[in-house]
Amino acid sequence: MTGFLVQQLVNALTIGAIYALIALGYTMVYGVLRLINFAHSEMFMVGGHVGFFLLAAAASLTGGPASVLVVFAIFVATFIAVGLLGVGIEATAYRPLRGASRLAPMLSALGVAIILQNVVMLFVSRRPLPFPAFMLSMSFDVFGAVVTLNQIFIVLFAIALMVGLGWFVNATTLGIKIRAVSENMRTAQLLGINVNTPISLIFFIGPGLGALAGILYAGYYGIVVFSMGFIVGLKAFIAAILGGIGSIPGAMLGGFALGILETFGGGLLPRLTHGAIGSEYRDIFAFSVLVLVLIFRPAGFFGESVTEEGMVYKRDF
Amino acid sequence: MRIALTIAALAGITAAAPALADIKIGTAGPLSNAEALFGNTWQNGMQLAINEANAAGGINGQKLVLVRQDDQGDPKQGTLLAQKFCDDDSIVAVIADFNSGVTIPSSDVYNRCGMPQVTNSSNPKVTAAGYQNLFRPIANDFMQGGAPAEYALETLHAKTAAIVHDKQAFGEGVATVFRSDFEKGGGKVTSYSGVAATDVDFSAVITQIKTENPDVVYYGGTMPGVGLFLKQLRELGIKSRFFAADPAFLPDLITTAGPANAAGAMVSFQAPPYDSNPKLVKFRQDYKKAFNEEPGPYSAYGYNEAAIIIEAMKKAGAKVTRENIVKGLRDTKFDGMMGPVEFDAKGELKQPSLYLYKVDGNGFVLEWPKSS
Amino acid sequence: MRRQAGTRTGRLRAVAIVALVVAGLTYLVPGLPTYYVRVIDMVLIYVLLAAGLNMVVGYAGLLDLGFVAFYAIGAYSYAILASGQFDIHLPFALVLFIGGGLAGIAGVLLGIPVLRLRGDYLAIVTLGFGEIVRLLMNNLTWMTNGPQGVSRIDEPFLFGAGLNTPQDFFRLLLPLVLVALTLAWRLERSILGLGWAAIREDQDAARGIGINTTIAKLLAFGLSATLGGFAGVIFAGLQRFVDPVSFSFWESLTIVLIIVIGGLGNLVGIVVGAAVLIVVPELLREYSEYRMLLYGCALVVIILLRPRGLIDRRYNPAWLIRKLGWR
Repeated sequence: MTGFLVQQLVNALTIGAIYALIALGYTMVYGVLRLINFAHSEMFMVGGHVGFFLLAAAASLTGGPASVLVVFAIFVATFIAVGLLGVGIEATAYRPLRGASRLAPMLSALGVAIILQNVVMLFVSRRPLPFPAFMLSMSFDVFGAVVTLNQIFIVLFAIALMVGLGWFVNATTLGIKIRAVSENMRTAQLLGINVNTPISLIFFIGPGLGALAGILYAGYYGIVVFSMGFIVGLKAFIAAILGGIGSIPGAMLGGFALGILETFGGGLLPRLTHGAIGSEYRDIFAFSVLVLVLIFRPAGFFGESVTEEGMVYKRDF
Repeated sequence: MRIALTIAALAGITAAAPALADIKIGTAGPLSNAEALFGNTWQNGMQLAINEANAAGGINGQKLVLVRQDDQGDPKQGTLLAQKFCDDDSIVAVIADFNSGVTIPSSDVYNRCGMPQVTNSSNPKVTAAGYQNLFRPIANDFMQGGAPAEYALETLHAKTAAIVHDKQAFGEGVATVFRSDFEKGGGKVTSYSGVAATDVDFSAVITQIKTENPDVVYYGGTMPGVGLFLKQLRELGIKSRFFAADPAFLPDLITTAGPANAAGAMVSFQAPPYDSNPKLVKFRQDYKKAFNEEPGPYSAYGYNEAAIIIEAMKKAGAKVTRENIVKGLRDTKFDGMMGPVEFDAKGELKQPSLYLYKVDGNGFVLEWPKSS
Repeated sequence: MRRQAGTRTGRLRAVAIVALVVAGLTYLVPGLPTYYVRVIDMVLIYVLLAAGLNMVVGYAGLLDLGFVAFYAIGAYSYAILASGQFDIHLPFALVLFIGGGLAGIAGVLLGIPVLRLRGDYLAIVTLGFGEIVRLLMNNLTWMTNGPQGVSRIDEPFLFGAGLNTPQDFFRLLLPLVLVALTLAWRLERSILGLGWAAIREDQDAARGIGINTTIAKLLAFGLSATLGGFAGVIFAGLQRFVDPVSFSFWESLTIVLIIVIGGLGNLVGIVVGAAVLIVVPELLREYSEYRMLLYGCALVVIILLRPRGLIDRRYNPAWLIRKLGWR
């Protein structure tokens, strides 16, 4: 039994770390623009593909599996590439709509998501591509559960990135500008801050982190496919809401929390109900969490307490 | 004089026209959704058969044309396309649809306009209406789910099985059949779980299965899910024998799961081994030459289905009409690439064949039935 | 002599034109190739759906991204109550009301917990609700037959005649949609509609002047859901096969898109939007591989250029009525 529980916990933390990294992108964008960036899930997918091609290129150049330095370089390159993509999307598809209604940028984001997904499907590959494992496959026995080096790496790497982001947002000028703009864009402008810079930076960092999550995910499961963004993105979004959308530590916690809820829900529900409710209910579980959180505590864990007036700041249409 | 010339010219034009008209076969399948790979390669297989027939002179000198349409696995589109094909008199036969959920409603439309319909859908409900114009030249899910159960019980002497399916029409269909056949044969099903077709992480379910320690694990679903599932199953240390259905009969299974993990897995498929049947070997080579990639999981089926229709057209004689083709299909006695083709009263294959393959190294090896 | 405003001749003229158009359509359309008729049937069903969503999004200003749930409830009502699934075979007209009613109740049930939510939060919850309903339809196999769907649904019988071909359904849908649009228009101009408009513009001020926002919002959810349910029942009767695939988030998005193209709150625009969104992909079937890509591009371009809807707000039902001569 301990082995079972520890195994589920390890699985939960690993997928939770990935959700957390993606959730950061959603939460930062929402915090500033009050925009649900539906295109963010596709940054994750594109990141996985970019990583795939860079690794393939590296392998053909060196003739063997990539060294740690090369892998690190690929991470950086993917981060930058997808980050720039994010900045570009913001400039073309979101910035013109900044003053418009609430619905407009959301629909634009949806359109961008559809475009990205289909471009990859049509011009890159319809088939799922086998992603090479760039981690040594080592595993340890911990209390009867199998824990791989890959899993440990994902969790630690994700935490390191999030801590780094937290430091950046609190201790650097740019980071403080980001927080100012998230808090109140109008006042930040009054204080002389050019809001476009922090906003572009958010659209660089958020998608970049999502892209890294994409590589981690692809390396862990061994596969990239054009359709991988949708469901994972949705779950990460739920994680961001759970943690309190707009809050960075919230996104972290929300990611891990959702990973745990989902894995234990999916793993234990069948046992508890003797198969009446199977693990296929995992997705319903996640959506129900979303609905319940929004109804009873829209602020999530760390979000500011949201009042009804607080929800209205822009006309709907 | 001028009148005579005009009449002669008109006669010449109208007489020449039918001889030059193409014979069109329509096909509808998922070309742009998550199953885009399956649909596209399936239709490529048909195209190959049609190219060969055209190279050999066509039907009565008329060229065959394949009209490919995308139904996106959506019954709404499937029925619209069915109506579109029906309205088009130049389309005399269809190979549609791919998904059972699309074939069932579209078969109503095809039946109303008497269109000969050859389908690739394996769900038993497809032929339940008993339409005389509907033919299914592949083994249906009853066989696909039944054969592995029989093998597990009789050859492997398995007592317990854990079943997982992907909550899709096909996956759940075969898993249900496996379950009932396994239980009917005296086996015990330790768990019957569903996962989402888009799932990539099966750790929750697999961890649960580990505690059950079954003799056999059956996965009803498609790629890449089945490959990923197998990989994670072995990585978590489960050694039970693994069974999957025909969408897993692909080299992708071995590359996704890894050869070490995939070794010993059993996959059911409706054709005899590629190397045992020279037609299949040739098919694979021709496909690679024509489309520059390996055939997809259903390319051979597409080829077969088109070949069956072409055969029926040849029997139809001088006038190729929808009714003639239906009659021709009814009387099919044809040695196809995947075995003998003959239909019963309900449009099902009289001798459905199913083979069980075992993963060995980087390929598949026929395991059952031994003598084919 | 100058024609006076509000004359009887003006009104007669308007009614005559409408009657002629309807008669013409009823006579001519069934003669078209069946494929065209089927496409027109789908357009009409989507007009019905969009009219429903329009009530909650366009009139009351509540962003509902999970509207497909009510469509699904209506469709599955007919599938379960008129097929071999449980061997119940209720008549079509009865299930029309049951399905619409169930959907309406579901709408109200959705409305109650989200009364306090606004804007994005409301949108996300409704999106989650739509997905939950679809997943339940997929997982509750004992009731809905899961992913395999319910097949061989009964043929609908209305006034003794069977509805079998797309032409039959056209003759049912055309009057139904016209009635629904007329009712929606009247609703828009009624006290309830004005209350909705007030809520849309400024919910707090609306409450301040004494409008019971709770009742108004619940009515918006309930009535829109009922229309969605009706559309679902008819769809199930037309296709005679129902499975969860037809009720995904993309379906909700399509209906939202129709309203976006048509201009929110504009019934005339909605008809145009439905026609465009259903017919154009059919015309572009050659490029069906690129359909979703074009969808996405169209969405972005339309939103960037005309965020309030493609069809100008000027061309709304009031304009149409005046054009016909009704004063």
